[in-house]
Amino acid sequence: MADNITVKKIFDNRKDDLLLTLLNSEEGLKKKVESAEVYRPGLALAGFVERFPNKRTMVFGETELAYLNSLGKEDLIGSLERFFAFDIPCIIISKGIIPPLEILAMADRKKTAVFSSRRSTTDLVSRLSVYLDNQFAPTITLHGTLVDVYGVGLLYTGKSGVGKSECALDLIERGHRLVADDVIKITRKSANYLVGTSSEILGQHMEVRGIGIIDVEALFGIRAIRLQKRVEAEVRLSYWEDTADYERLGIDEKYTTVLGVEIPLITIPVSPGKNITVISEVIAMNLMLKVYGEHSAQDFSRRLTERLARAGNVGDYLESDYE
Amino acid sequence: MIEKRLTITNKLGLHARPSAQVVKLTTRFKSEISLTKGDMTINAKSMLGVMALAAEFGSELILTVDGEDEKDAVRQIAQLFKEKFRDTY
Repeated sequence: MADNITVKKIFDNRKDDLLLTLLNSEEGLKKKVESAEVYRPGLALAGFVERFPNKRTMVFGETELAYLNSLGKEDLIGSLERFFAFDIPCIIISKGIIPPLEILAMADRKKTAVFSSRRSTTDLVSRLSVYLDNQFAPTITLHGTLVDVYGVGLLYTGKSGVGKSECALDLIERGHRLVADDVIKITRKSANYLVGTSSEILGQHMEVRGIGIIDVEALFGIRAIRLQKRVEAEVRLSYWEDTADYERLGIDEKYTTVLGVEIPLITIPVSPGKNITVISEVIAMNLMLKVYGEHSAQDFSRRLTERLARAGNVGDYLESDYE
Repeated sequence: MIEKRLTITNKLGLHARPSAQVVKLTTRFKSEISLTKGDMTINAKSMLGVMALAAEFGSELILTVDGEDEKDAVRQIAQLFKEKFRDTY
């Protein structure tokens, strides 16, 4: 989670991917990283430290080092002192360039780690950003069931015992894939979409009332499971109430918000003899149709409106036709 | 809504059988009941949910109960935790 990311964690997890070597003392590894962003501090080194985002991971590329190397000893110390006056999480130098020793000495004094990466600056920045984005992505756990139906991630929610797991089991039977049952970890990726996974301990196990815990992968095989899936719609199962207002047209879509991301919400009343599985497949296909630009309810409504308008014109015509 | 801090007092932690005891008890109530450990909140009426907490000996959970029978629920659930889930295994 985002509140315990240290420089050590980034180094341990990413040293092979980012080709990192620690250049100074290990003291700096204890520092916390509080921002998912990466910064090229050229301006700060040159002396402009207003609005300097010092909480970000600093990447020194060829430009920064060429600048520092062009300075005389006094100017170099001055520039570094201005820079290190801020609390900086860590510094990564790209292309395996060996920095002036003054940087390492000053960083040691400020207990800040300096790494060298053999990757190019662009490559380093993009890989590091992806990793940090994932680490800092907001996450929640929800009670429900996540199934991939025809490639559409449907999140089933509803009270305990309403039949979420049974519905998922039926869908698996028909060739769809289970992502997680009961405990769903949802992460918001790049601010606009949600990805659901199972909790580490549960994997693709399910609980079915009357049977107990079952292992879906062992029972149905690898084709029946999926480790993660984008969450594309919430299907809320509710007990049938005669007085409740269920959707009859589907012209206006309802939405629900998870971690600030809007996804379509479909409320399905559950009653004996109702086949939620087939309804689920229709929900998934209908969502796909909408992605491809076909909106059944709106298209039908438009046709009806046109037809009514035409019928109206014929009436006018006949009325004014005195032939 | 009532919140209460609970501690796991049996040596083996909240493994399968104690989890079943918890769920058997929570499903008797009408209230919405959830358990939180760290950044994970689960529905305490879900068998897999309770087990997914992987609450070890000595760990602290927050019990949240909301509904008409909340007082009774909190009292009985706290009692079950105190009695180490009446676990004889």
